[in-house]
Amino acid sequence: MTKGTVPNIVAIEVLKKNGVNVEKLKELLTKGVGAEFTTYYYYTILRMHCTGLDGEGIKEIVEDARIEDRNHFEAMVPRLYELGGSLPRDIRKFADQAGCPDAYLPDNWEDINSILKVLLEAEQCAIRSWGEVCDMTAGKDPRTYDIAQRIMQEEVEHEAWFIELLSKRPSGHFRRKFAGQSPHTGAQGSLIHL
Amino acid sequence: MKDPNGAELRPVCKSDDLLEGAMMKVTVGSEDILVGRKGGKLFACNNSCPHKGASLSKGHMDGENIVCYMHGYEYNVFTGKLEKMMSWKKEDTWIEQDPEWRKSGPLVLYPISEEDGMVYVGLKSNPDS
Repeated sequence: MTKGTVPNIVAIEVLKKNGVNVEKLKELLTKGVGAEFTTYYYYTILRMHCTGLDGEGIKEIVEDARIEDRNHFEAMVPRLYELGGSLPRDIRKFADQAGCPDAYLPDNWEDINSILKVLLEAEQCAIRSWGEVCDMTAGKDPRTYDIAQRIMQEEVEHEAWFIELLSKRPSGHFRRKFAGQSPHTGAQGSLIHL
Repeated sequence: MKDPNGAELRPVCKSDDLLEGAMMKVTVGSEDILVGRKGGKLFACNNSCPHKGASLSKGHMDGENIVCYMHGYEYNVFTGKLEKMMSWKKEDTWIEQDPEWRKSGPLVLYPISEEDGMVYVGLKSNPDS
């Protein structure tokens, strides 16, 4: 085997035989990790603007979601490369292709509910995004499915938290053991340092 | 079976599966295709939303438009044209998304026809779509 020659990759071959459109899957994964990375960035700004007594009350929960979304990026990126995909070399293209909108700080950020509404919108888009990956891989690609469903579980928790804070609907939330614990994805991906 | 442009057509479902207003996802080769009937006319388009890749079969019809459940973009299922670019803004105080993130190509359309109670779709997409 000469240098640079890639042999047949059985781990991809079996996916194709299972009916997975690998090119489409790589596209969805790139969009999904793009959304996680941009969300991590924008949640940093949102968290910084959780000020005053109300803001102090939600600062920790925003931090949990912020770090866990970064963990989702780190959990899935190695899988993207395993499948033969890659991140765009230009971060501007990476952000433009992301599967979810940028979670911009709203103009009326002094109203803490305005920040919560943006957080909720971002989490709901992430649920739809990873749901697409779960649907595409269920019963066909156990490795990608396993990571995606772990991410999905944390996104569902995040949504429930923010709905509780906005509406008082109980979410079952209690604080993480430490900020950004990622109870479901914490063991996934070689880039996570927990 | 071939369409007038020479595209090979493959059977995907029975005509009875696509009553007026119905739509369903079918798989032809490695492509997921959304087929349906609206206003008595059949349509077939790629099931992947041209904006961010969501499954259009999870959306709903509004007139001749398929509305994507992910970001609310609307595409005409007969022309492929993007008819409505939904804003993400839920409130006036939200900042609109960057135009590069918002832009979208048209739907990918496929030839579709029916004969003897069966619906047929061609894999060759419409280059104009």
